[in-house]
Amino acid sequence: MTLLLPHIFNGLTLGLLFALIALGFTLIVGVMEVINLAHGSLFGLGAYFALTIIGAGWLSDTTFGVWWLSLPIAPRYILALILGPIFAGLAGMVLELALRRTYGKVPLYGLLLTFGAALVIEELIRLGWGTGEQFLQLPQSINGAVLIGGLIFSKYKLFAAGFSMLAIAAVWVFLEKTPYGAIIKAGAHDSEMVRALGFDLARLRLLVFGLGAGLAGLAGVIMVPIWGLRPHVGVDVVIPAFLIIALGGVGSFWGSVTAAILVGLSVGITGAYAPAWSMMSMYILLILVVGFRTRGLFGKKSALEN
Amino acid sequence: MALFEARNIHKRFGSSVVLEDISLSFEEGQVNGIMGPNGAGKTTCFHCLTGHYKPSRGSIVFDGTDITGKPPQRIARMGVSRSFQMMNLFDDACVIENIILALPEFRRRYAQVTSSVFNDKVLLTQAYEVLDQVGLLGQEWQPSLSLSYGNRRALEIGVALAANPRIVFLDEPTSGLGVEATRQLVKLIQKLRDRYTIVMIEHDMRFLFELADQISVIHWGQVIAQGTPDELQSNKWVQRSALGAVA
Amino acid sequence: MVTLSDISRRSGQWITPQIAVFALVLLSLPFWIGPIGLYQYIGVEIAIWIIFALGFNLLFGYTGLHSFGHGAYLGVGAYAFGLFQLHVGVSLFGGLLAAILAAGVAGAVVASFVSHRRGIYFALMTIAFGQLFWFGAVKMHWITGGEDGLLNIPRPDLNLGVTSFDLSGNTALYYLIATLVIVITILTWRAVNSPFGRILQAIRQNEVRASFIGYEVWWFKWVVFTLSAMFAGLAGGLFSMAQESAYPDVMSLHQSGLIVMMVLVGGGLVNFWGPILGVVLYFIARDVLGAITETWLLWYGLMFVAMVMFKPEGLAGFLAELKRPSEPETWTKPAEEQ
Repeated sequence: MTLLLPHIFNGLTLGLLFALIALGFTLIVGVMEVINLAHGSLFGLGAYFALTIIGAGWLSDTTFGVWWLSLPIAPRYILALILGPIFAGLAGMVLELALRRTYGKVPLYGLLLTFGAALVIEELIRLGWGTGEQFLQLPQSINGAVLIGGLIFSKYKLFAAGFSMLAIAAVWVFLEKTPYGAIIKAGAHDSEMVRALGFDLARLRLLVFGLGAGLAGLAGVIMVPIWGLRPHVGVDVVIPAFLIIALGGVGSFWGSVTAAILVGLSVGITGAYAPAWSMMSMYILLILVVGFRTRGLFGKKSALEN
Repeated sequence: MALFEARNIHKRFGSSVVLEDISLSFEEGQVNGIMGPNGAGKTTCFHCLTGHYKPSRGSIVFDGTDITGKPPQRIARMGVSRSFQMMNLFDDACVIENIILALPEFRRRYAQVTSSVFNDKVLLTQAYEVLDQVGLLGQEWQPSLSLSYGNRRALEIGVALAANPRIVFLDEPTSGLGVEATRQLVKLIQKLRDRYTIVMIEHDMRFLFELADQISVIHWGQVIAQGTPDELQSNKWVQRSALGAVA
Repeated sequence: MVTLSDISRRSGQWITPQIAVFALVLLSLPFWIGPIGLYQYIGVEIAIWIIFALGFNLLFGYTGLHSFGHGAYLGVGAYAFGLFQLHVGVSLFGGLLAAILAAGVAGAVVASFVSHRRGIYFALMTIAFGQLFWFGAVKMHWITGGEDGLLNIPRPDLNLGVTSFDLSGNTALYYLIATLVIVITILTWRAVNSPFGRILQAIRQNEVRASFIGYEVWWFKWVVFTLSAMFAGLAGGLFSMAQESAYPDVMSLHQSGLIVMMVLVGGGLVNFWGPILGVVLYFIARDVLGAITETWLLWYGLMFVAMVMFKPEGLAGFLAELKRPSEPETWTKPAEEQ
């Protein structure tokens, strides 16, 4: 059991990170009933923006760039952590404008459109940032290892897990405890009410999509130091996000958080015994659960079933 | 013995009870009506009888066979047919294909993968017969979406009849129909009553009283009154809503 | 509006004028493909993917089941063919049969999990299974050769008993595949207009009504899923023969997505010929655009996005609308045409 403990801990950490990845996806699925297959690409986009902000990108040769690069890494990282997701959110809003053509049709079209968008974003990333693997610089304070109870942990993983918990809590508070959250949740199923309250449904959707894409970008900035960054990172990300939603049940916030932690645990523990098969365990988990429970663990009936 | 019998049907969704205790029986060859206010559970009751929902308690017997909880396709193949209140057609298909799909003769060919359908004399003859019955001859090759509302209703009934059923359940057949179309529907059902056992949910009282041999009134998930139209004339609830309907 | 379920006035024939033209184009291709600036191997690829796409559209377009993991069955077929040649014996028919059966079994197993699922859960499950196969192919290197795949798969001869043909040249291989494409096109054409095919289409249009008129919906879904997996398996077997290798790439989500894109862009949602148009368009785009710019996938992706937004009926829908004004649709009883 003591041998297993670090793997369980590792799995929990991984689960929290998965939850962070799935957060924006859940929001968009739950509120707008759109499966955003470009989620992973927006995740990548956020991380690439962060990369450029930290490294000053094409401005690196200008006086501003030289000054910027002379600053310590911490402020640059913090700015990247803020602006990266915002840029991803803006890209998401552009995608939402395109998606408007598919509202009111079968959900397949939304799925296909975002699939095409994922391809386009991936190619744009190749064009803009090249095809090689890239790395995000981290401030010293969250880099390296730390010794807790005789076990070595990566400081950054702890930071990332803690950050995920914060993000999950923040989204939950936003959805459940603020008037905006109430309106967003109403928007999904009761567009009449949203209009009655004096809100523009189109703008609400734009906002939700931007928020979801922004969360994808945030997950990107946080995850990339662990997973590495390459143009096709999107596929590696969207699949777990997808599985988590299906496992937790479309439209259920805590369902997807629970599912993410389950997936993290199963990947972590499988990793202890058969590392090569660790990622496979999540597919098996999904097939077992959805094979017997049509709507996953906590799913509600949704228009996406038609 | 009655052709179709439901005994003590109880249906709940989670904690809300929709059908408390429904017992109904439909005699062969009769036109049976079911009426009641909105939300009384009429459509849920239909869904239970035709296999869409599984009743929480109680049993359903058709022609001596217990069909409780059987899936709709099994019940349908035994000769129980139904139409839907919200129209439920094959919208990409033309009128005649809607009918052909429901023919038992066609159903028997389900595993044929190289024979063709639309020049099969047997299928076409049978389909034309059904179309003639519901008055849709001449529109057989039109897309079903292009039909007028009244004709879509007629097609809805045609699909139910094409299965050559022993009993037909019609869910609100007059819903959304104008005066003229309703009159035509009355004629159609009078024509059909000799061939089929019919059960109708209906809110149009005059329509029901004109056609039905036997009427059951459902309210609060229970059968609160039952009888011939004459017997029901004196029922308080019926009187009240009949007055409302006339006024 | 055009839909897949429009009844062609020639739905009762084995060979329609379109099929005849298509067969002619296919069979004459080796004579003009060079002069128009392309090469023989692209013909082989197009023909293989047409088989894949036709089977896929039985599921995707006709039955309305949106599988996003169909590359898996192509891959299973490719590996089965390769393993057969490498370990059992060099035989064309043996290999293709193994490919079809292996993919059919894989498809049947997956179908029994997914045929009760609908909409997004169906799509999700097919993705999960697709990933499972891909993952297995990468990890089970003692069978599949891992990331590198199976290499040096021999191309068997076509042995017809009396005589045998050497298929090591791409033109000979092309003729074999083109013949298969023609046979499969005719059979598929018959199938979609047969009772079985029309029931599949009824299920797409209204699953609830289909069960209320007596059809075991899940059975039809199961059969058509398995059937389309078998088409994919055949295509996969031919693909590994053409490539002389089999690798996990064809099972990736990317490939599974590509077939969806091809079928949709061509107009598989509204027309029998849609998948074929889509495949041709994709390969020509890949080679023509690919010769001009390295980012051709970006342009193809943008075109796809625009198509979904403005013309989800695809190329076939577009063409149908072009000719609509000059040829008003007038229905006659097909029975009277005989």
